[in-house]
Amino acid sequence: MKEKVKIFLDSDVLEKYLLGDTSKEESLKAERYITMYPEVRKTYDELQENLETFAKMYARKTPEGLKEIILHSAKKGQMESKKFFRYAIAASVAIMIFAGSSFFFWNQNKNLQVENDFVTTQIKYLEENMKNQLEDVRNQFIVLNNPDTKKYALSGKKEAKELKAVAYINPVKKLSYINVSNVPNLPENKCFQMWAEVNGELVNLGVIKQFDDKDKLLALPYAENAIGYITIEPKGGNTSPTVQNIVANINY
Amino acid sequence: MSTLIEKHIVSLLAERDDKAIALLYDHYGDTLYGVAYKVVRDEDLAQDVLQESFIKIWKKADSYDPSKAKLFTWLFRIIRNTAIDKLRSVNNKSDKEVQIDVSDVYNLGVSGIRPEFMDVQDNLEKIEPKYKIVLEALFFEGMTQQEASEELEIPLGTIKSRLKIGLRELGKIYGTSIAILLFIILLP
Repeated sequence: MKEKVKIFLDSDVLEKYLLGDTSKEESLKAERYITMYPEVRKTYDELQENLETFAKMYARKTPEGLKEIILHSAKKGQMESKKFFRYAIAASVAIMIFAGSSFFFWNQNKNLQVENDFVTTQIKYLEENMKNQLEDVRNQFIVLNNPDTKKYALSGKKEAKELKAVAYINPVKKLSYINVSNVPNLPENKCFQMWAEVNGELVNLGVIKQFDDKDKLLALPYAENAIGYITIEPKGGNTSPTVQNIVANINY
Repeated sequence: MSTLIEKHIVSLLAERDDKAIALLYDHYGDTLYGVAYKVVRDEDLAQDVLQESFIKIWKKADSYDPSKAKLFTWLFRIIRNTAIDKLRSVNNKSDKEVQIDVSDVYNLGVSGIRPEFMDVQDNLEKIEPKYKIVLEALFFEGMTQQEASEELEIPLGTIKSRLKIGLRELGKIYGTSIAILLFIILLP
């Protein structure tokens, strides 16, 4: 081995060159020796191998997600703040929450609007219904309060002895009402039905329900010398009265 | 000795194909991160160093000359210098950054016992401490041999010889693992 090669290898230039710690002159010298002398080349290659081995001993698992940041920043050529990524993630989470809640409230609002429409319609209907009922009650009151109105108390006969009804007839105003106040219990398949004979024809006035109609006045079509009947009919009512089942009649 | 993957990455770098970055990261990421961490001794700083180094690597990709250095040597120089610069700039800043030591203690607890690096830890222990301390001072702490001599209170000549012998010891460890590998492969 040449003396100067030995001197070079004994110096620390090659090690410094390995780590990149050499000055420009030292680098040029090292590169010249590496190119010119195979033994220097061999030593340099060994040093490189050993450096890699040594460095690998300190290997440390890179954190999750760092690769994406590094690939992105390397291509862009500038540093990217890890904080920025954290903020970006936080921001997108916030946006998602905001979008979710917006949709929730929008949906809620829509539902409430539908409900509101429904309630409004219902109120309107109830109002109308109430007006009609009030009108009815007022008319009834006028009739009942009229001095010309006569009151007839009725009792049932046959199997409907408990049946109590009151009829109000006003011949001047030509109005008549009946109030069935007590209805006896009937078998499941039977019901009371009211009829009026007007000008020789029997008109169906409807089925009297057991409880609901207790205090309700039913308007009767008015005619001179008309007769009202209450009959027992099969459940649901009949198209014409069963004469043998007449339990009450009202002449007016 | 250069592996196939190394040659592949080198040719991608020469063509400025950005697939090279991902391959470099997969192949050398952990080692380079470990080197950065060894120098700055802080997870966050090490991640910044790694990021900065990859930007430099990609920018300087054309200037890499395979005849002058192995790919890893080139990468090591970049990461080491970036890390040392980073550490210096941080140390020049206010006292606030002194908390590095605190996170160091914490991080050692978490990452120090990763099983995948256990065999590497074993290898590290095979190097005699007197060599390891010199290698670490020169490789990771950015000290010149003169500085290491003063800092470690070891004569300059001893530093030089320990660097050479230390690197040779590495060769021995490396050689042993190759021998074991060959032994395993050659088993009937």
